[in-house]
Amino acid sequence: MTALLEVKNLTVNFRIGSAMAARLRGQTPPDLKAVDNVSFEVERSESVGIVGESGCGKSTIAKAIVGLVPISAGSVELDGQPLTEKRDRATTRRIQMVFQDPGSSLNPSLTVERTLSELLTVHKIVPKNEVPERCGELMDLVELPRSLLRAYPKRMSGGQRQRVGIARALALNPEILIADESVAALDVSVQAPILNLFNALRSKLGLTLLFISHDLAVVRHVSDRVVVVYLGTVVEDGPTEQVFSDPRHPYTRALMAAAPKFGLKKEPGKSALIGEPPSALDLPSGCRFRTRCPLAQDICAASEPELVESPTDAEHLVACHFGWTDPPT
Amino acid sequence: MSEHLLEVSDLHVTMQRRGLPITPVDGVSLTLDRGEILGIAGESGSGKTLTLRSILGLLPKGGVTEGELRFSSDGGQPAPFVPTAVHGHGISIIFQEPMTALNPTMRIGDLIAEGPRIHQGMSKADARARAIELMRLVGIPSPERRARMWPHQLSGGLRQRVMIATALSTEPKLLLCDEPTTALDVSVQDQILGLLQELRERLDMAIIFVSHDIAVLGELCDRLAIMYAGQIVEIGPADDVISQPNHPYTAALMASVPSFQGTSEELQGIPGHPPDPTAFASGCRFAPRCAFARDDCTQTIYELRPTSDDRATACIHPEVLAQP
Repeated sequence: MTALLEVKNLTVNFRIGSAMAARLRGQTPPDLKAVDNVSFEVERSESVGIVGESGCGKSTIAKAIVGLVPISAGSVELDGQPLTEKRDRATTRRIQMVFQDPGSSLNPSLTVERTLSELLTVHKIVPKNEVPERCGELMDLVELPRSLLRAYPKRMSGGQRQRVGIARALALNPEILIADESVAALDVSVQAPILNLFNALRSKLGLTLLFISHDLAVVRHVSDRVVVVYLGTVVEDGPTEQVFSDPRHPYTRALMAAAPKFGLKKEPGKSALIGEPPSALDLPSGCRFRTRCPLAQDICAASEPELVESPTDAEHLVACHFGWTDPPT
Repeated sequence: MSEHLLEVSDLHVTMQRRGLPITPVDGVSLTLDRGEILGIAGESGSGKTLTLRSILGLLPKGGVTEGELRFSSDGGQPAPFVPTAVHGHGISIIFQEPMTALNPTMRIGDLIAEGPRIHQGMSKADARARAIELMRLVGIPSPERRARMWPHQLSGGLRQRVMIATALSTEPKLLLCDEPTTALDVSVQDQILGLLQELRERLDMAIIFVSHDIAVLGELCDRLAIMYAGQIVEIGPADDVISQPNHPYTAALMASVPSFQGTSEELQGIPGHPPDPTAFASGCRFAPRCAFARDDCTQTIYELRPTSDDRATACIHPEVLAQP
């Protein structure tokens, strides 16, 4: 059985600085590898969380999947069909995105109803006379009162706006919903019901969810599987409970140790993670994490580890020379 | 009996919003001991940041503070002070976004040396040596080289360390922290929290740490105050407040936080919205959203009532939360 969404060796380069200036100096213009050889699969109705620190490329992966940034190498396949940057409307509809800040991603001069009905009409989702009813149904789906259809985004609270952002994405009946830091800007009391809403939508509509976040506890709450990204590469990929109870990559372990844990007392500043990630323009040789890794050995500088599955569990993969063995002491 | 370092009594902040008077901080009282870390938790608009900033008189234009602030700079009886006069003399503050809080036209070394030069009258050379020493104290690697750099050349974590160094340069007895780790990644946040805790011990400095992140506060703080609609609704030892809330708002807040452990059961969330500051309800301000609200909740007058030696709650029916 093929996966619904397959990301194969995805690489996204950004050219930074002035290419002309570099050429005049006789150099090749520098490329920033935001995403480097990333592969993972998403099954139908599965919820996959992508976690990592800022600048690790998690949002770029999402944008490459929906076609907002050009793919430099590798491919993104939907049902076995490679997706290109130019897509027809039918393909566009199948993958929809919910952004972090609904305040800036909704058109401020349109009422909620106009925003939704425009989409429904342009994409011919329902016959014209059924558009108002469908708008109402979408509001029910995201648990907003239908009376808000006449409201402008400015008049709504952050949580309500985010629900409209979700309704906007759902209007096109997508198969895959990509949520990029969709709850990061919300207070916890508002964030909690939105997370519950994502879970409810999954079971109600059979949605496939790709949830991108820097917050491990949030990802744990909505994802079946977690993909941990560091400096543009996948370092660990496995079932959520397994990755949280037995993280195999030293970066995952350090990230978990560093995260403040609600309800568990821990001393801050005792995590093994030292310093900050190196620049993506000046990557270390071999394993990218070795400059901050407590286990680093000579081999880590010499060769870049590949994603290797666990000897006991084909679902759990880790890209570390010592992922499934103990490091030499 | 030890004297308090800081006493805040009946603090009010009033300002105008679209022509209407609002009171975003309404009757906050708290005390802080020497070397203690107090956390103030609350959601956007709860008044936590304004409470913190009014201690130093750093209110937005048009903001007016009422109430009494007392601070003990020398270890004696706390005395009333003028907020703007304690800048550089016992109380320092660090902010959320070090990029906007640091002067971009000054080199790191000069930024840190400015405090000692102005407030302690140090010579240029002495102040520079002190700056290097402070950079070492806050864990900035190769301080001599970095002292000559500009703020934009440093990473977010290092910039936050520079801001802490500038705050420490005048040897404060109290450090006010306004969400200093919110913009940082977890690994860097963890380092900064560790640094603050270490500095507290080494310098015997008290800290007030404002954040919306309960997990961070639980880790760092000795005591925790929960704010809702401009008032402190509960205060007590951080561990107790988190594990055994005495106010329904605190309990609902804790049930909303996604956790690392246990089964990932349905998160609760809080129905409704925080009240509009132009029209606070009479009685308990949380009552309209409270699952346990009773008739007399709308009649009550705000007051923090002690429930034990070190805890207090504004709820008149804290027994509703008692575990069966």
